[in-house]
Amino acid sequence: MREVVKFQFYEIKMCLLFIFGSAISLLFVEVSEGTTLETNLPLKDAEWVRNDVLRSLAKPEADDQSPYSLGQFSLGFLDQLEVSNQCLELLHSFSIKCVSHVDCTLRNARPVRVCENCYQDFSNLQEVYRNISQESQVNVSCRDTLLRSDRLQVIVSVYEFLNGFWGKSECSRCLTKEDSISNDTLNFMNALNQSLDCFQKFQQSGNLSELCKQCKGNYSRLSELYSQMEKNFTLCIDLEDAMNMTRRLWSKNFNCSFPREETVPVIAVSSFMLFLPVIFYLSSFLHSKQKKRKLIPPKRAKSSNNLMNIQDK
Amino acid sequence: MLEISRWVVCALIGILTGLVACFIDIAVEQLAGVKYIVVKHSIDTFTEVGGLSISLILWAALNAAIVVVGAVMVAFFEPVAAGSGIPQIKCYLNGVKIPHVVRLKTLVIKVFGVISSVAGGLAVGKEGPMIHSGAVIAAGVSQGRSTSLKRDFKIFEYFRRDTEKRDFVSAGAAAGVSAAFGAPVGGVLFSLEEGASFWNQMLTWRIFFASMVSTFTLNFFLGIYHGKVGDLSNPGLINFGRFETEAMEYNIYEIPLFIFMGVMGGVLGAIFNTLNYWLTIFRIRYIHRPCLQVTEAVLVAAVTATVSFAMIYFSDDCQPLGENQAEYPLQLFCSDGEYNSMATAFFNTPEKSVRSLFHDPPGSYNPQTLGIFTLSYFLLAFWTYGLTVSAGVFIPSLLIGAAWGRLFGIFLASMTNGSVSGIVRMTLSLTVIMVEATGNVTYGLPIMLVLMTAKIVGDYFVEGLYDIHIKLQSVPFLHWEAPATSHALTAREVMSSPVTCFSRLEKVGNIVDVLSNAATNNNGFPVVSEFSASDEPGRLCGLILRSQLIVLLKHKVFVERAHSSLIQRKLQMKDFRDAYPRFPPIQSIHVSQDERECMMDLSEFMNPTPYTVPQETSLPRVFKLFRALGLRHLVVVDEENRVVGLVTRKDLARYHLGKHGLEEMQISQT
Repeated sequence: MREVVKFQFYEIKMCLLFIFGSAISLLFVEVSEGTTLETNLPLKDAEWVRNDVLRSLAKPEADDQSPYSLGQFSLGFLDQLEVSNQCLELLHSFSIKCVSHVDCTLRNARPVRVCENCYQDFSNLQEVYRNISQESQVNVSCRDTLLRSDRLQVIVSVYEFLNGFWGKSECSRCLTKEDSISNDTLNFMNALNQSLDCFQKFQQSGNLSELCKQCKGNYSRLSELYSQMEKNFTLCIDLEDAMNMTRRLWSKNFNCSFPREETVPVIAVSSFMLFLPVIFYLSSFLHSKQKKRKLIPPKRAKSSNNLMNIQDK
Repeated sequence: MLEISRWVVCALIGILTGLVACFIDIAVEQLAGVKYIVVKHSIDTFTEVGGLSISLILWAALNAAIVVVGAVMVAFFEPVAAGSGIPQIKCYLNGVKIPHVVRLKTLVIKVFGVISSVAGGLAVGKEGPMIHSGAVIAAGVSQGRSTSLKRDFKIFEYFRRDTEKRDFVSAGAAAGVSAAFGAPVGGVLFSLEEGASFWNQMLTWRIFFASMVSTFTLNFFLGIYHGKVGDLSNPGLINFGRFETEAMEYNIYEIPLFIFMGVMGGVLGAIFNTLNYWLTIFRIRYIHRPCLQVTEAVLVAAVTATVSFAMIYFSDDCQPLGENQAEYPLQLFCSDGEYNSMATAFFNTPEKSVRSLFHDPPGSYNPQTLGIFTLSYFLLAFWTYGLTVSAGVFIPSLLIGAAWGRLFGIFLASMTNGSVSGIVRMTLSLTVIMVEATGNVTYGLPIMLVLMTAKIVGDYFVEGLYDIHIKLQSVPFLHWEAPATSHALTAREVMSSPVTCFSRLEKVGNIVDVLSNAATNNNGFPVVSEFSASDEPGRLCGLILRSQLIVLLKHKVFVERAHSSLIQRKLQMKDFRDAYPRFPPIQSIHVSQDERECMMDLSEFMNPTPYTVPQETSLPRVFKLFRALGLRHLVVVDEENRVVGLVTRKDLARYHLGKHGLEEMQISQT
């Protein structure tokens, strides 16, 4: 009787284990495929590729050397084109604005005038991206299809790069909130132009020392303005670069910075200072009594014949 | 209950040490900031107008003024606070009683001394004094009272003994190390390396606890000071900053390079130590009056300012201001937008210089600049160490190492360790300290290699700096083992003989005379059973200490009075503990003529089973017994248990291995 009961329990245990095991393995399988669960659009992806192909055929300037030929795919998916047209347009507009911004930035790379000339392009670009990344009230959001459909995420990367670049240049400091150039910046540019005019005037005459003297006022005013703006954090890369160039002109080309004068007093004072310790040590050597050390002699037992002290060793 | 109170004391030690470190750091920053702003302002105005020699004089005067305060404090009020304090703590943990080393007065003078030395621009660091301060705090807190302030809080009375106090002092030293470097494990290892004769496992845990509490406290309060509460990014006074991991890779073929760096470090350290040794001997001989010492310190401060100024003035090296800005950039004669790169090295406290040497991108330092900086700083550093100011030698050696390491320019961190190890010779704890301070364990192996090489090379030439100073101050320091080739010596040849003994029932007048005798400065007296008719000493019954005798005399515990009704109560342990540690000298105990005739029974208070050795015991064996048990007196007896001699620390410390074999040194009275 007992063995039968045991045998039954054993079977029940095995069944339960089997059920558990299969449940757990099913769970694993689901989770491992979970990366695609989020977008949930494997089908739509395939569609997307085909739509792109169809579109490229519609546009005359695209050079179509793609291996896919139209005839292979059925045009039954065309009715789903309506949904993504909007997104296509957004993408197109993004690409145009992006190209123009990059073009502007590179054209103004040396000397750096990015903030001054390209801020409008950048704000346009920002707007387009904002449109794309919004969750629109329309039942389809372009955000997911444009931004998160593949592992490369081109649009996001490119925008992040340009955004970061704009951030590093700190152009926002030179611009007002309504996206126009601030008064401080205009002020600075004025002062800069004055100095440059002064340089030009005297440079033609060829007398550099004259230049240093006459333009010194302008230049110091400019420097002061610059340090003021530095403290207020109203500097952007344009202004920094302009100041840098001006400084280089002033110091290296025109050689107007301070020459090293009067080395003689400095050397005299230094040698005097260096000489003092020598005198001090000599005098203490000669005059102080050398400190005598009182030695504590060891108290030792008298050595017997068969025991030696260390001195005898 | 006792165990819990030990942990509580360790926590207290950690907190207080962290707070003191915080205070030192903030004070130095403020004071040095004021000084640099004034000098920078003067230099900037005079660069245009002319008259830079006035700036030089101003800088030298400011340095001198700040340093004179510190030097006066140390030289006139507490000479034991001079130097870094690490040799003194080493000796204390070894068991030597250095007078005044753990007093409150010493702590106060040390703290203010180190603030004035660092702010005064001397080539010093503040880490060594931190360790000393931690030790003093530990010694004070663990006793639960302050003898200087005459306040007794009546707690921790059980800990008023030498053994307990020493354990807490090790914890304090470890807390000091961890506050200085942000390296708690390094602190524990430092205590282990320096003071581990009497170690046990629970002590390790308690010391680690104290170190962690200390670094956390420092971190927390420095975060508050810098305005970012809760920002725990200042674990130590030295902050090397975080190293980028990609820049820190190394390959196996670079290991020989590291070893070479270690060799160079060892050689450099040996040179430093030798130079400093000669200088210290000169100082001990000729500059021993306090006013002379103060003058010397002031002169060194002025010359440091002069050298720094001259370096900056004559340097043509101009660099544009990078992202890691110097705090007080000096433009001097550079073109606009560029700054003098010597100034970033010299116009700063040493810690900031080390930091900038570690972190500034390659190309910010001209090799020539670095070379001149290294050389001049090396000369300044060895001249400064040993002055009567509170100052450490860690940071200067790190700075020298970092500078010439950067000269070689390959990997930044490992270079520094060579010279520190070459100078100081603490290998294991230093490895851990550096690894923790740089926050990167990857570099552990090269660091260790460099350190060991430097230590080996340096040891070949000369001893460690702290050991040199210990020897020069004539401290009877016992090393780990007896000197080699000393096994031919026996206890009979080493001991002091004849010994002053007392009998069980001794006349008070006799005791007072012996204690008052200035010629013999014994602290331990064997108690013998009876004196035989001839001069033969009696059999050993016990050992009694001078401190115990003084307490007995003070409380007038005489045999005659025990029977009379004058006695109020029996003498308790508490009375002995209350008198610890500053027992009154015998001169302050008044004994009348009648009392001199009374008898004192010593058998109740003596140690009835002192350690003894037979006469023929070899020196290494005596040494081992003495050191391992932490004894102060070892009685030498013959076959009939008669007292023949007494071995004390001074007897053992005389012997060392010199150039011509075993030598005996003379110990002088200081």
